[in-house]
Amino acid sequence: MRRNLTRGRRLMIAALVAAVLAVVTACSDSGGVGGLENAEQDTSGGPVTLQYWTWFPPEATVKELIAAYEKANPDITIELHQYAAGDYRQSAQLALNSGEDIDIVGVQVAAMTKDVRETVRPVKEWAENLPDDWESQLREEPLDQARAAAEDGELYELPMGSMGSVVMYYNAALLDELGIDPPTTAEELTAASKKIRAAKPSITPAVFIGEPYWQLEMLWTIIGQTNPMLSDRVSSEGVDWTDPEIVQGLADYKAMFANGAFDTSTLSLKAPRPVELFGSGKAAFLFDGSWRAALLSADYRKQNKIAVKDVGALPFPIVRDGGKPAVRTGAEGGLAIPKASTHVKEAADFIAWMTMGEGADLWGEQLLLEPAKKSFVLPDGVLASPAAKAGYQAIQDVLQTPSSNRAPAGGADFNNVGGNGVLDVLNDYKSPKDAAAALQTEWTSGRYPHPGDDD
Amino acid sequence: MAIGQNLGSPEGSATTGDTTRSAGLGHRPVPAGRAPRRRRPGGSHALPALAFLAPLLVFYATYFVYAIGFLGKASRQRIGLSFVNAVDVGWENFRLVVTDPNFQRALVNSLGYALFHIAVALTLGFLLAMMLSTGVRFRKTFYIVFLVPALIPMALFATVFGQMLETRDGAINGLLRNVGLGALTQDWLGATVPAYTAVAILLVYAIGLPIMYYTAGASAMDLSVIESAVLDGARTGQIFRLILFPLLKNVHKTVILSMLLGAFRGFDIIYFSTNSQPGGRTGIVGTYIYSSTVGVDKVGFAAAASVIVLLVALVISIIQLIVTRRSGSTYV
Repeated sequence: MRRNLTRGRRLMIAALVAAVLAVVTACSDSGGVGGLENAEQDTSGGPVTLQYWTWFPPEATVKELIAAYEKANPDITIELHQYAAGDYRQSAQLALNSGEDIDIVGVQVAAMTKDVRETVRPVKEWAENLPDDWESQLREEPLDQARAAAEDGELYELPMGSMGSVVMYYNAALLDELGIDPPTTAEELTAASKKIRAAKPSITPAVFIGEPYWQLEMLWTIIGQTNPMLSDRVSSEGVDWTDPEIVQGLADYKAMFANGAFDTSTLSLKAPRPVELFGSGKAAFLFDGSWRAALLSADYRKQNKIAVKDVGALPFPIVRDGGKPAVRTGAEGGLAIPKASTHVKEAADFIAWMTMGEGADLWGEQLLLEPAKKSFVLPDGVLASPAAKAGYQAIQDVLQTPSSNRAPAGGADFNNVGGNGVLDVLNDYKSPKDAAAALQTEWTSGRYPHPGDDD
Repeated sequence: MAIGQNLGSPEGSATTGDTTRSAGLGHRPVPAGRAPRRRRPGGSHALPALAFLAPLLVFYATYFVYAIGFLGKASRQRIGLSFVNAVDVGWENFRLVVTDPNFQRALVNSLGYALFHIAVALTLGFLLAMMLSTGVRFRKTFYIVFLVPALIPMALFATVFGQMLETRDGAINGLLRNVGLGALTQDWLGATVPAYTAVAILLVYAIGLPIMYYTAGASAMDLSVIESAVLDGARTGQIFRLILFPLLKNVHKTVILSMLLGAFRGFDIIYFSTNSQPGGRTGIVGTYIYSSTVGVDKVGFAAAASVIVLLVALVISIIQLIVTRRSGSTYV
């Protein structure tokens, strides 16, 4: 028995050594995988079935859109492959890389564009299948953001629209009941929060996601009120994180907790809890993105059993004197044609329909994104109350004058670590100055690829 | 109720060398004076053995060696999830990982959680398993209470627990307020000590696996030793401390190795409960690697971190093997 066990141990050790050798051997060799070639087109004629991969809009909406398109184009059938947002990036990239039969692929503009550019066709290769004036039918800003996301100046997808953060939604019915005017400054927000705490102790005045990445969104929005584009300059012009404006921004954000506008208990909330609390009437203000604008719609609230009777929206309250409403925007809902597609012409037609045609009108009224389609107008009747209408207009106005791009300043690579630095200030672990210095050290550590780095 | 009343079947003594050769739990005792029959190595048994092993070896080569090789290759590249345009960066990824304070903290946390989990398993887990093995009333109910967490995905419990940790609307603070202990409410995810406490609570809750190990070990234990001790007037504490605990030393080793290596796989507990908060302080290597991969796209960097963690785990395993070999013990 003893002998057998010893032999077993030898086998185990041999296996472990084999594993180590596998690592070492593999470490000694490296190389890369090249891009794919454009597939030949199917010219057989007859009905066409397009394979459509996406995560956005919600599946029910996409199915309605596909039904409408198929009705208008009887020879086209679209097979939908819908994924959850969190799973989509990895699934789509692996599928594209393996040359899977996909004709239309949704692209998360900021997160995916650079990585899929080897596997999708540049728009210029299929622009002949778009309306002649396609570029003038779409807003410049989301197109530019899509080009910037690729980092080579090329346009690989047509964005369905753009979105921005941070904006403030408020329970209009509750504020009416308490005689509170929607706050436009941090001081007014502080006063409103105190009044709500006194009158309705069970209600949290303001809620937002407490996770690290969202703290950077809050910080850059505050800084953007007085120093537009500073986050972009940190990314592209080498401005240090120790810049006095960033230190001041950290101090300003911290002061909103100290003054009572926000409560540190909010920092324990993970998505989607803030929306749940706001939707159930347990929070008066929700700080989120423009992608929550559907909360303004009474029909949407009814369909989703959201109890709040009336919702309004405003830009993030002005924190410092002289500040202007700020929001960070980014193109989203990119639609691209993979190199593996054998139905480029039909795919391009569907993309045109979704971005600048009737499709954009259909999904646009659901308030998921600000459509890139210039001629889009929200139909009458989508929003009913004065607060909702004013809120929608306020979001549109601030989105037209963004204070920075949502993508740069470290992007997703830096979001968690940078957000933890902000949390260290909010939780009293570090002073704004020390936190900024730590962020600068981390930013220049080499762990986070900066725009312009070699791929 | 006597200790040992229900501690498995008497199957020969584990300590009386004059009657048995092997004290290993779960192994058939061999009568003294009769040497175990030896088989010639190799010979006619080699081919059938290889045939039986072949499927496992193929599986091993495909899913283990290849995967680790792929990991090792990616660890020396700058590469994203698209796996195109890989750039050879030599050992740079390893340098960046090793010098990252967040990785260092994650590694220390992983080992710290493992040590805590081991301590809980060797004390609370051992005691609970022995008490349940005595035939205590409602033992099946207790087994369900303690073992269910080990049988259901930890991510589920951790997710619920994470919501319970909310400062204002969380169940834990709510309970404390309702029972008049409002002063004890904490900002569980905003301060280091409460956050580590929350993790500790979850680790204690995951005590089911050690209880299963100890229960299995106890079922193979020789009852006559306990009976002798009882007849000799040993008190319950003495039986636990001087007889049961030493008799189960091989189970302890299994538990220690299991908890130690489990700490490197305990991603779900941390990610779904504290999500490494506050400020990344409760993170472990699993959450570190995850945050470097999903939604971030630093696959090469994450691969380097994975290789380092793998090597640490291998070193721990080898040390454990050496220690086990020196002590001449067997596994349960």
